[in-house]
Amino acid sequence: MIHSLAAGAGLSADLIGGKAHGLVVLRRLGLPVPAGFVIDIRACRAFLRDERFPDGLDAELAAAVGDLAADRVSVRSGAAVSMPGMMDTVLDVDVTSELRAAVRAVLASWNTPRAVTYRELHGIPHDLGTAVIVQAMVFGDRDDRSGTGVAFSRDPNTGARTPFGDVLFGRRGDDVVSGRCTPSPLSELAEREPVAWGDLVAALQRIERHYCDACHVEFTVESGRLWLLQVRPGGGTGRAAVRVAVDLADEGLIDRRTAVGRISAQHLRSARTARIRAGFDVLARGQGACPGVATGRIAVTADRAARMAAGGPVILVRPVTSPLDMHGLAAAAGIVTSHGGPTSHAAVVARALGRPAVVAATELTVDADAGCVRAGGRVLPEGTVITIDGTGGEIVLGTAGTVTATGDQHLARLLDWADGISGDRSARPDEERLRAAHARL
Amino acid sequence: MTGADDFVVLHVLRCIGFAGLPRVADAAGLPEAEVESQLIDLAVAGWVTRTPGEFGGWGLTEAGRAEDARRIAGELDATGARGAVTAAYDEFLVLNPELLDLCSAWQMRSVQGVAVPNDHSDPAYDARVLDRFAALDRRADGVCTDLSAALPRFRRYRVRLTAALDRARSGALEHLADSTTSYHAVWFQLHEDLLATLGLPRR
Repeated sequence: MIHSLAAGAGLSADLIGGKAHGLVVLRRLGLPVPAGFVIDIRACRAFLRDERFPDGLDAELAAAVGDLAADRVSVRSGAAVSMPGMMDTVLDVDVTSELRAAVRAVLASWNTPRAVTYRELHGIPHDLGTAVIVQAMVFGDRDDRSGTGVAFSRDPNTGARTPFGDVLFGRRGDDVVSGRCTPSPLSELAEREPVAWGDLVAALQRIERHYCDACHVEFTVESGRLWLLQVRPGGGTGRAAVRVAVDLADEGLIDRRTAVGRISAQHLRSARTARIRAGFDVLARGQGACPGVATGRIAVTADRAARMAAGGPVILVRPVTSPLDMHGLAAAAGIVTSHGGPTSHAAVVARALGRPAVVAATELTVDADAGCVRAGGRVLPEGTVITIDGTGGEIVLGTAGTVTATGDQHLARLLDWADGISGDRSARPDEERLRAAHARL
Repeated sequence: MTGADDFVVLHVLRCIGFAGLPRVADAAGLPEAEVESQLIDLAVAGWVTRTPGEFGGWGLTEAGRAEDARRIAGELDATGARGAVTAAYDEFLVLNPELLDLCSAWQMRSVQGVAVPNDHSDPAYDARVLDRFAALDRRADGVCTDLSAALPRFRRYRVRLTAALDRARSGALEHLADSTTSYHAVWFQLHEDLLATLGLPRR
């Protein structure tokens, strides 16, 4: 029931879960992964059925811990299909006294009502079960040369071939997820820890060559040394996905038929959503919560937004939203919150109202008393014109133009390849061109 | 100006924000004429104000907000309900992320790996979300019951949540997450009420 990550080659994701499978791949690629082992999905199924550890698991656990030679470990879930954030993770677990309880807690978190709901909505069988990954703990909060973050091999918003992501210095992974702290753009890692940065960039390239796809990783830097904690292939949606597919074909990682096959009709529809044109002064980035682009003057309270709206479009910028902000949300052309996430109250209300919205713009501080928003070292008084993109989460200064799929060179090339596959070059809608090509793949 | 009903109306405005008379009356569970008369009294006392315009309505003044906070603190001390409300709030916080997941799933769904607006053209998907909503609503029953036992003014939330869910189940799809009287809107106000009652900041 327990397998060392070092010896996991050949084990399927159905048995050890997607996360452990990715860690085994990383180790085989020679990349730095903390030593550890995985308790496979059979143990979870037995636990869910009998409500106790299956016979033999305790003995296997003791043996695996003996081989691991680590005092403190992380204990994470990892099912065969991704269920992000739905199950428990326990960090910094004392191996001698706390490990059994931590494993039990992670196994039991399979059946929290929230996880059950997630599976119902995504058609995931309830008896699938999760693996549990136990690894030597690496500390992103060890010193000021430590940190934790997430890195995409290519920008998931545009598909551009530059690493993208963020890093939180002096903190552990759970601080990133909780939103308690403000992460920095990934580029700061290049300045502060050039060796770890170099290793990270090389690792991303290596992983791309293995999967023949864009990817992203979760990582920790401990005293200047890089460790990878998770990997996932895939890169962006809509126009970003199109650009990644075309670039990968140009780079020789995949052929053109594969590139065409990776783009779905849904990617084409999503590519039509208006986005901010590149090249504007980006004040901050958050997470897109309701797609669309909106331009307007900053208002920092709901009352001000409701009043200012008579004079033209307003973007309401708040730390969080409450029902007391509803009149301002209704009056605004777009909504920004510095906290929250894509399933916050603010995000739900923005979608209900059909307003472009960016949430978790953690670099912004709203100062309602002073009537301004601070972004890094800059002070933006109420009334300053900004543009927000509810798909990619960008917030830029001024009136930014938008782009749509029309004129996208990557899309034009991909569809040209699609016509080559179908042998039909007649004028017709993009989705029909793609469908005809897919029928021949 | 010290009756129980005017406190109900004052506190409703503290929890729902700017609203027209029908919404205030619905949230309070009182006839519109009675609520209007109380709003006028509250306005004379300087605690509420009516803002004209497209996004206007009845709302609290700063003084009204302070008065509400003073009365709520007094109510909590007088009834000794702080422990019970705190326990119910902890239960609420377990349900809240799931409720927000469900609202998001109702509004957006993943199609071929891309998050797209749910156009409600797939009855099987909508039925799955509604089923889970109903299951969450049953679990929320405990929170509502405990709160109502601690402070009877919380009773109205159970009535309003049930009404929203019933309307959605009978085909008025906007009453789950999208209208001003939707399940999410009522839940959001319950969240605000719990924070206000316990004197906690929103995070």
